[in-house]
Amino acid sequence: MRPRKLLRIARWEATKGVGGLDRGAVAVAVAATAFVLAVSVAVAGGGVALEDGIYRVGVSEDSRLHDPIAADSSFAVVEPDPTAIESGTLPADSQYDLYIEERGDETTLYLAAEGGAPTDKSRAVVATLRESVDRYNDRRMYEEDNETAAFPVTVTIRYVERGFDAGGDGGGGGDSGSGDGFGGTGTGGTDGGSTGGGSVGDSGETTDDDSIGAPSLGAFDLFGTTESTGSPSDISPPFPFQSLVLAFLFVLPLNFVIQAYGSSMLSERLNRRGELLLVAPVSPAEIVFGKTLPYLAAALAITAAVVAGLWALGGEAGPLSVLAVLPLALLFLATTFLGSMFARSFKELTFVTVTASTVLTSYAFVPAIFTQTSPVALVSPLTVAVRDLTGAGVTAGEFVFATGPVTLVAGVCFLLGLGVYREEDLFTQRPVHLKALDALAGRIRRPRSLLLVVALLVPFVFVAELLAVALLFALPVAVSVPLVFATIAVIEELAKGLPIYAGYVHGRYDRSMAVAVVVGAAAGVGFFLAEKVSLAVQLVGLPGLEVADAAFQTGLGTRDPAIIALLAVAPLALHVVTSTLSALGASRDRTGFAVGLVGAIAVHLVYNLAVVSRLV
Amino acid sequence: MSRTTIARRELGSLSREKTIVLAILIQLIIAGFSSFLVVGLTSLYDPGGGGEEIQVAVTGEAADELIAAGNEVEGLNPVEYRDRSNARDGFDRGDAAAIAVAEHRDGRIDVSVEAPQSSLQKTLVVVRLRAALEQLERSERRDRAAHLDFDPIPLPPSVDASPYFGFTYTILVPLLVFLPVFISGAVVVDSVTEEVERGTLELLRVTPASLVEIVEGKAGVMAVLAPLQLLLWVVLLGFNGIAISNVVALVVLTMAVAVVAVVFAAGLAVTIPVRQRAQLTYSFGALAAFAAATALPEHPGTTVALLAIDSPTLTTYAHVAGYVAVAAVAAVALRFGLDRIDAERLG
Repeated sequence: MRPRKLLRIARWEATKGVGGLDRGAVAVAVAATAFVLAVSVAVAGGGVALEDGIYRVGVSEDSRLHDPIAADSSFAVVEPDPTAIESGTLPADSQYDLYIEERGDETTLYLAAEGGAPTDKSRAVVATLRESVDRYNDRRMYEEDNETAAFPVTVTIRYVERGFDAGGDGGGGGDSGSGDGFGGTGTGGTDGGSTGGGSVGDSGETTDDDSIGAPSLGAFDLFGTTESTGSPSDISPPFPFQSLVLAFLFVLPLNFVIQAYGSSMLSERLNRRGELLLVAPVSPAEIVFGKTLPYLAAALAITAAVVAGLWALGGEAGPLSVLAVLPLALLFLATTFLGSMFARSFKELTFVTVTASTVLTSYAFVPAIFTQTSPVALVSPLTVAVRDLTGAGVTAGEFVFATGPVTLVAGVCFLLGLGVYREEDLFTQRPVHLKALDALAGRIRRPRSLLLVVALLVPFVFVAELLAVALLFALPVAVSVPLVFATIAVIEELAKGLPIYAGYVHGRYDRSMAVAVVVGAAAGVGFFLAEKVSLAVQLVGLPGLEVADAAFQTGLGTRDPAIIALLAVAPLALHVVTSTLSALGASRDRTGFAVGLVGAIAVHLVYNLAVVSRLV
Repeated sequence: MSRTTIARRELGSLSREKTIVLAILIQLIIAGFSSFLVVGLTSLYDPGGGGEEIQVAVTGEAADELIAAGNEVEGLNPVEYRDRSNARDGFDRGDAAAIAVAEHRDGRIDVSVEAPQSSLQKTLVVVRLRAALEQLERSERRDRAAHLDFDPIPLPPSVDASPYFGFTYTILVPLLVFLPVFISGAVVVDSVTEEVERGTLELLRVTPASLVEIVEGKAGVMAVLAPLQLLLWVVLLGFNGIAISNVVALVVLTMAVAVVAVVFAAGLAVTIPVRQRAQLTYSFGALAAFAAATALPEHPGTTVALLAIDSPTLTTYAHVAGYVAVAAVAAVALRFGLDRIDAERLG
């Protein structure tokens, strides 16, 4: 690959249509600006309140519950009509979900009922009402003169590690300081305004107090690491879905980038447009990477901007976060590239890219939920970003573990796509799955090429298995381990069987028994060799996680050399046997392949359940 | 006549490429994903949710009050320890999930809590402790009622309610309504720009079909597909025991919004017949419109939620009528616009 040629193509791609500002570019810019403006206005206005008025409550104005209900926007106050109550119950088809009747000191709640039992909705209304009354009481307390009586309990919460004392006595001094002046967190001021009356002066005074207030990051305490002090209702439990916010910030922009990228790659295939570049003295790799470079640069620039924004908000983000998102960006681009090589039309491309980005987003996001709790989190590169943002940092090994498989998969996707970046494939239309077989077959010449092709697919297998582990590890072991076994049998047999089938479909092999056995053995050995690289998992990533042990079967947990040795060799026999089964089936026809594959999966599953669970 | 031919051809290509299957699959993943999220989220937050009891080490001179309050919280088991270092030992051994030291100070009860930094239970521990502390606060307030101007309102009884109820109607259902609408528009952009970019529009125009008929046929079929997918979701949700009310109004609303979306998409596709540009403009524009809709008295998402949960008001129906009117105007405008476009310039 010659950098100069590559850069020239990158420049063409980046400046395409920039010359005279065409209508399309202007429209994109206008729409993007409108999007940013509309979102920031909506966010500044408090976001979208989707739950406005979903619960209808009949309550009269002189009821004590009226004020808390009116203050909560999810309730719609409906004028009470006593005739709605029929023989002591509120029918479900009335205009209320909850009817509040007050007679003297007694308050009666009528829940809308159907067939004698309160409806789901009316029960949800009461549960919501309970929370709103609690919040309302707290707000009213801010207006009280006697702060000690209004807030009789103060809480300081600290997060500590088990096993060593985090200087509890030193913290004690801080505690005594927090005892006085509490109650002026500034909330008092806003509530004074909303309820009016003589309380405004009071709340003004309390804010002047030597108040503790919320910790500086307040609403942005994404990571639950700060110490906080306040009344019990001020405690905000640590937000376990911090990675959701990050996934949105980092992954959402990637979706726009790949949309533009996919269009550009697919349009090369329309009306043989790409032919001009193909006949030029440049290699397909130079064309593909040249055209990819501007989009990768755009993705990185956006990520850097997001990281800088987070840094400005008080995160400890640095270059490490950008580095962690880089493999994700690569993977998004790689799958889009492969999709645009396979797709027959723009419509198909839209669906292929949306599917890919949904799956990839789950891969990035789900494991990262467990950042602070389980090593399984390191499956996702986002975890590295989360750790970097919290200042926790990662070791080099962990970084490689988190980003390695993703980068490898991206590389393999590009490689497979490059295999079909040639005239005979680029400008023909075939269903996606046949194109995928073409891409595999493009690398198969003789039986032993299967060694390489199957080995190439191992990163895919690895990523798919990691995703399965990440999704299933939270379940009880009795459920998760068999499920993981089954998933793995399917994934691994597919990875070995598909290249074999592709070879037969493309007539690379004789349909004889002897050849089938050779082919099967080659696939089995290739898979075995590549899989042993995954031993690194146990060394770096997931020690002591039972599900991971089930998935990667190293036997290291047993610490018995004989078992470790047996577990190192036995899979070779297994992989050879099962892939020969698939090969024998594939040497007949499609149905034969399906039967062979199912047989292989069954054998694999039985092996896993019998041998491994007995030994480990 | 040629409109239906175009529409049938469009449907044919969608089913041949199996894209419609993929589309439903995507929605299934997204719906499953967001439900997974919320179930996880609420089970972490819901004080009564998890089965196992959480043991908390309580110590200090006000320990009795805190223990009394903690006993009223489901799933929390406060245990008294002699002193702070004892409690710390219990915490380090893993007997206690957290430490709470309660002291009387300046006429208040001052509780200092130490929760585990790295534990899956962290959130659950804090949520349940908070419930206990709020209980303590309420009972202390009752004791000091004489010093308060405002007598706190007694809480309504706690009932057994699904914590996912609100989420289902305010997030999931609007998502399932607007996602097909968004995808419909995107497909129209793809379909029209592709005919232009491949040069097949010219071939189509040799047939008796006019440009108006071609574009309307393509857009029309996608506008109809969106409410059909909604109906599918209504049936599926029904199997899961989630009843959707006002289905007719919801279908009308979806149809109207889908018409607006496909008209916008078709308009873009003929104005900017380059897929990359048109598609980006469409996505940004659609998302911008969705965000800008917060300026309406009732956000479209809220309208969907109110209809589905059976709490519609007159305003809700007025909004539905408004969308229908906008859709009608948009459809007419598209036809006028297409008539004025020089089709030669496109192909």
